Amino acid sequence: METFKLENEPKIKTGFKTPDSYFDDFSAKVLGQINEKEIKVIPIYKRKEVIAMFVAAVIVIALMIPIVNNYTKSKELDEATLETYLSYQSNINQYDLIRELDTKDIEAINKNVVLEQETLEDVLSSSPNIENLISE
Amino acid sequence: MTDEKEFIAQLLNPKTQNAAFQILLSQYQKPLYSHIRNIVLNHDDADDVLQNTFVKVFQYLKNFKGESKLFSWMYRIATNEALTFLSQKAKLNGLTSEALQNKTIDNLKADTYFDGDEIQIKLQKALVTLPEKQQLVFKMKYFEELKYEEISEILGTSVGALKASYHHAVKKIELYVTSN
Repeated sequence: METFKLENEPKIKTGFKTPDSYFDDFSAKVLGQINEKEIKVIPIYKRKEVIAMFVAAVIVIALMIPIVNNYTKSKELDEATLETYLSYQSNINQYDLIRELDTKDIEAINKNVVLEQETLEDVLSSSPNIENLISE
Repeated sequence: MTDEKEFIAQLLNPKTQNAAFQILLSQYQKPLYSHIRNIVLNHDDADDVLQNTFVKVFQYLKNFKGESKLFSWMYRIATNEALTFLSQKAKLNGLTSEALQNKTIDNLKADTYFDGDEIQIKLQKALVTLPEKQQLVFKMKYFEELKYEEISEILGTSVGALKASYHHAVKKIELYVTSN
């Protein structure tokens, strides 16, 4: 069999053909496709925008949580402030307060009042108007 | 090179874009068609791939940095598109890339857009037996008659390596044709 040598052969063409006038309307076809793609791109872009806005909203809400927490906390009055207010600012007198006490509160007060004999004597002897207290 | 820079600027300017893209299309549609057709072999597939190539070129133009020539950049896109198309088509048909190419070559005889005889078919069959890179180099050098420097820019391979690839390809093709 004869050895085939590419360089000894006449140039072999691919043999590929195209339909007549294929290249005449090819550019119009491509430009049409490009425009179509550009239109198609819009909804995807819009959807991305919506997602971005949603993410931004979540971040803003997340950042607001500590502020809101602080705000609600500062509205709660602590005990000391309440006592100060009641004793200096309000016109509630001690009789009003006593009227609000129930049995449990009274018991609680009773316990606190129990004092050592010595402490009592000390207080009484150091008080300058003890005479008045006794006479009352 | 300045001309090319100017042309790229026209392609990016919305006012001149359409006219410039028309010029790009008319300049490159034929050589890129041949390049793609040589890889995918039948006309309909080449038509699809060529359209996708130009759409991609249009989309990525704004990212084109000009570190390579427009010519080699477009050839690179066309090559990638054609090779991706082939591997996807093979996967879709459950065939290896080689089996798909053989099947396509067998169908060529009945293709209206193929005007070749035994030797063309034999040459294509011989090409299928080569590694992908050697196939590409042979097609670009022998059929498309591109310069080694141009092929080197497109494929990112040194001229020396390309010459070696081409030499190997020719040897294998001659061996295949002789023994078949």
